[in-house]
Amino acid sequence: MIDDQYVQRKVEKDFADFYPANEDMHAQISGRRSRGKLFFWVFLVATMVAIIALLTLLVTIINQSFGLVAEQVVVPEETLVTDFNKTRVTNATNVVESGEDDQALAEGIAADPYGAGFFGHAFYTENQETLHALSIGGVAPTEENVLSGQYPGTRPLFIYSAAEILEEKPQVAAFLAYYLQNLEVVSEIGYFAADEEALAQQQEAIFEALGVDELPQINPADYEGDISVSGSSTVFPVTTAMAEKFKEDGFKGEIQVESTGTGGGFSAFCTGSEGIDIVDASRHVDTIEFEACRGAGLDLNEYLIGQDAVVAVVSSQNDFVTDVSREDAESLFTDAVTWADVNESWPAENITRHIPTADSGTMDFFVRSLFDEQTLLDLPYYALVDIYSSNVTIGRCRAVEREKRFYLDQLVCDSPEAFATACAGDNPPGGCTEETRTHDDLELMIAAEIIQPTVLESWFLYPSIFNRQEIALEAATKYPNAHLKFKSWLSWDFITSPQSSQPEIAGVRTAILGSLWVVFIAILVAFPLGVAAALYLEEYADPRKRFNQVIQTNINNLAGVPSIIYGMLGLAVFVRFLEPITSGALFGTVEAGTTANGRTVLSAGLTLGLLGLPIVIIAAQEAIKAVPPSLREASMGLGATKWQTIWNHVLPNAIPGILTGTILTMSRVIGETAPLVVVGASTFITSDPTSPFSKFTTLPAQVYQWTTRPQDTFRNIAGAAIIVLLILLLALNAAAIYLRNHFSKRFA
Amino acid sequence: MSETNPSKKGRLAIEAHNLSCYYGDFRAVKNVDLDIKEHAITALIGPSGCGKSTVLRAFNRMNDLIPVAHAEGEVLFHGANIYEKNVDPVEIRRRIGMVFQKPNPFPKSIYDNVAWGAKINGFKGSKQDMDQLVEESLRDAAIWDEVKDKLDQSGLSLSGGQQQRLCIARTIAVKPEIILMDEPASALDPISTLRIEELIQELKRNYTIVIVTHNMQQAARASDYTAFFNMGEDRAGYLVEYNDTEAIFTSPAAELTEQYITGRFG
Repeated sequence: MIDDQYVQRKVEKDFADFYPANEDMHAQISGRRSRGKLFFWVFLVATMVAIIALLTLLVTIINQSFGLVAEQVVVPEETLVTDFNKTRVTNATNVVESGEDDQALAEGIAADPYGAGFFGHAFYTENQETLHALSIGGVAPTEENVLSGQYPGTRPLFIYSAAEILEEKPQVAAFLAYYLQNLEVVSEIGYFAADEEALAQQQEAIFEALGVDELPQINPADYEGDISVSGSSTVFPVTTAMAEKFKEDGFKGEIQVESTGTGGGFSAFCTGSEGIDIVDASRHVDTIEFEACRGAGLDLNEYLIGQDAVVAVVSSQNDFVTDVSREDAESLFTDAVTWADVNESWPAENITRHIPTADSGTMDFFVRSLFDEQTLLDLPYYALVDIYSSNVTIGRCRAVEREKRFYLDQLVCDSPEAFATACAGDNPPGGCTEETRTHDDLELMIAAEIIQPTVLESWFLYPSIFNRQEIALEAATKYPNAHLKFKSWLSWDFITSPQSSQPEIAGVRTAILGSLWVVFIAILVAFPLGVAAALYLEEYADPRKRFNQVIQTNINNLAGVPSIIYGMLGLAVFVRFLEPITSGALFGTVEAGTTANGRTVLSAGLTLGLLGLPIVIIAAQEAIKAVPPSLREASMGLGATKWQTIWNHVLPNAIPGILTGTILTMSRVIGETAPLVVVGASTFITSDPTSPFSKFTTLPAQVYQWTTRPQDTFRNIAGAAIIVLLILLLALNAAAIYLRNHFSKRFA
Repeated sequence: MSETNPSKKGRLAIEAHNLSCYYGDFRAVKNVDLDIKEHAITALIGPSGCGKSTVLRAFNRMNDLIPVAHAEGEVLFHGANIYEKNVDPVEIRRRIGMVFQKPNPFPKSIYDNVAWGAKINGFKGSKQDMDQLVEESLRDAAIWDEVKDKLDQSGLSLSGGQQQRLCIARTIAVKPEIILMDEPASALDPISTLRIEELIQELKRNYTIVIVTHNMQQAARASDYTAFFNMGEDRAGYLVEYNDTEAIFTSPAAELTEQYITGRFG
C-alpha cells in the first residue's frame, strides 16, 4: 500500500509553509475581520434607514391626525341645552312671570309661603327681611361664598388690558386705575364688587403695568384721548356707568363701550384691528386667546372687578326649607308640582314659581349654572326630538320621520293621514315598519343638521405645538367668530360614526365593518383551500410529474401577480358572471333598495381570498416541509395510514407555520385597495354591511377616497383612518399570533 | 458470493429471495438471499453504505416512503411476497414494527405516545384495558418505573435513552410479530446502549428481532445470527456471509468477513 512517489512529493512540499505565519497570520486574520466589520456597518445603516422610514411614516400620520382647528358652529350645543332647560323652567306648573321687574318678583315671593324664585344676589341683599335664600348643596349664598365662587350660580367679572397699551395710552391707564378705585359702581349695578383682598392681590400687576409704586389719585381732567372698550354683555353696564362717571369727573376724551360677548372682545383686542384698549369679560381668558394676544405682542393682564351671582329664594314665611341639594333645586324649578314632590318631608302644597321672563339675562344665567355642564348626551330622548323637530324645516322633519319614526305611538311632524297613505303604498318607507330612532341617532342628527360644526381651517400637529401663537393670531384675524381648539381627529366618535360628507362628523364605522366582513370571507376562502392545496402538493403530488411542476411554478408566480389583476378577475368572474350568486338574487336575499348588483361584500371577499390563496399555499407548503421526516416514519412504522399520519402528525406540527402564513395573508388583504376599487367598493355609503350581499367600503378604500378630496380636513380624517387601520391590523394579528402560540404550546 | 444460511432449527419469520433495492436507477442492494429465524436476534453488520439499512427497511416496505425507491425479488412473510400488488403496506408495517436510529417520540404525552398506535389500529379494549396495555408496554420496554409518575408529560421531555425505550414501548404496544431495529443505540451513550441491549434480549422471548448495527461488539454480544454485508465494486451492497453469530466471529468463512471483524477495513 505504500506509494513511494507520494512520500517523495510530501518531502518536497510542506503545505504548512503555504500559510502565512506569525505576524502575517495576525495581519491576515485582522484583514478578514475588518471586511466583516464593513458589513456590520452596512447592515447597521440598512436597519437605521428602515427604522427612520417607519418613524417618518408614523410621524406623518400622527401629524395629520391631531392638531388645532378653527371651528365654527351654527348653533352651539350649550345654547340648545340651555334653551331646552329654560323651557323646562318656564313651562313648570304655577309660574308667575314678573318680567324684568325684580321688585315685583321679590314682593310676590315674600307674600307667598309656598313661593320660590331666583334673582340677582345684590337684589336679595336689599330684601333680606322678607326673603330667605336657599343653600344649594350645603353652600349658603353668603357674600364670602359668592365672592370665592363656591356658591353655584356665580361667575367672576373681569376687565383685561395689556401693559403695552397702558404705556402707549396714558388715558387708558388712568381709566383702568380709576375703574379699580371706584368699584362701588359694580355694587350699584347689582353685582358683588371685588373685595379689598382680591384688589390687593392685583395691585402688583397694576403697579408693574403703570410703572408706579402706589396707585395715584386719578384726576380724569388731566387726561384726553379716546378709549375703546369691548366685550361681555354682563360687564357692559358696569363699564358704561364707569365711563359716564369718568367723564362727569372731567375726562376730555371719548369712551366707546361695546357689548360683543367675551370671545368677540378678546378676538377684536388681540387682532388690534379695531383699536380696542380694554376687554370686558365674564370668564377667564382661555389659553388659545391668551396666546393669540401674545402672538400679537400683547401680554394680557387680568383685573377682577367683582362677581355676578343669582340666588334661589323663598319667602321668609317659609319655615321648612333651608337647604336643597342640586338635584332638589333642579326639580324644584322644573318638574315638581308640590313641595312634597321635591322632598317627602315638605308639605304637599303647590309650588308657586316667581321667575323672570325667558329672554332675561338672569334666567339664562340661572339655568346655565343650575344645569351646569349638561350636554346633549344628558338630555332625555324626548328633549332631543323636541330640539330636532323645532330646529329643522317641517319638510325635512317629515322626511326623516318617514324614514324612521321618533316614537312608535305618535307622530311628531307628519300628519297621521299622510303617513298612513305613505305606508299603504307598494313600497312603504322604513318608518312604517322599522323600530324607532335611538338617542345616539338623534345626537348625530342634531350635530349634523343643527349644530353643524364646521372646521374652517385645520393645522397639523407639528405647527400646532411649535407655532401656537402664530396660529392663534391667524385664526383670530381670519375667523373672528370661530373657536380655536385642539382636536384629535381620531376619537371614539370617529370610530363609531358612519361615513358622512362633512369631515367634522364623518366616521369609519361602515368602513371598519366592511373591512372585517371582507377579511373574514377572504380568510374563509383562502385558509381551507390553501391548506388543502398545500397538502396535496406536498403529500400526494409526485414532484417528478410535469403537471405538478407546472402547478407549483404557477402558484409561485401567482403570489407575485399585481393585485389590480385580481381586481379585474373579480370584476369579470364574481361581479359580472356570478352576479346571481354574489348579489344574493339566487337566494332571494337582495337587500331592498340597494343597487349593489354583484358589487357586494361577497365578491370582494372572494376576490381577496383568491389574492391571498397563493400566499397561504406557499406558507403552508413550507410549514409542511418543515415537519421532520422522522415523525412521518414513526407514524407509518406503527401501521398508520397516510391520512392518519397527515391528520395526527403533519398538520398539528405544521399549524403554527400555516397560521403565520395566514397572518401575512390577512395583513395583505386588509390593506388592499386597488382590487376593491375595481370590484366596486362604494366610495360613499353610510349604511353598515349586514350580510355578504351588502354594498361595502373598506378602510383603505375610504382612505383613498378621502385623500382625493380637495378639502384639507379630509386629509386629517384620512390620517386618523390610517391609524384605525393600523390598530385593526395589529389587533387581528395579535389574535392570530395568540392562536398560533396556543397551538405551538399544545403540540410541543 | 460466499454465503451460508445457518442451520435449519426454528421456523422462518422472513425469507428474502434475490432481493434487489433501487433508488431511481441506482441499485443500492443486489441479490440478497436471507432467512430470518423466528424468536431470534439477527444482526446485520457491515461498513457504511453497504445497504444493510436498505435491506432492513425493505422488510416492512418502509422504503416505499421514498418516492423513487423500488424493490425487485421477493420478501416472503408467512409464505407470501410482501411486494405483491394486492398486499397493503400498512398491514405489513402493522405486523412488522420498526425502531429507528434516532429516537423519534411523537410530540405528545408519554401515555399518548404508546396509546396512539393502538388507537389507530382499532384497539377494542376499554379505557382500563388501554391503561393496562400502556403499562405493560412500558414495563416490557423497561421504562415504566422511570415514567409512571409523569405519563402526561411530553415524550420529548425524556433523555435520549429513555426516548428510545419509549419508542420501543410504542412499537410493541401494537403487538407486531417482528421488530426491525435500525442502529437503535447509535445515538446513545454507553449506559443507555447497554440497557437497550438487555432489553432486546428480553424481547427475544416474544418477538423476532432484526437489528442493524455498526458496533461489532454489540452484534457479537447481543445477537444469535449475524449477516455481513459489503459494498461491491458497482457500489451496490451485497450479502457476504450469514451464519450463527459465534461462527461469524470465531471462524468466518469469507476472508472479507475476517478482515472486517478484526478491524482491518470498514
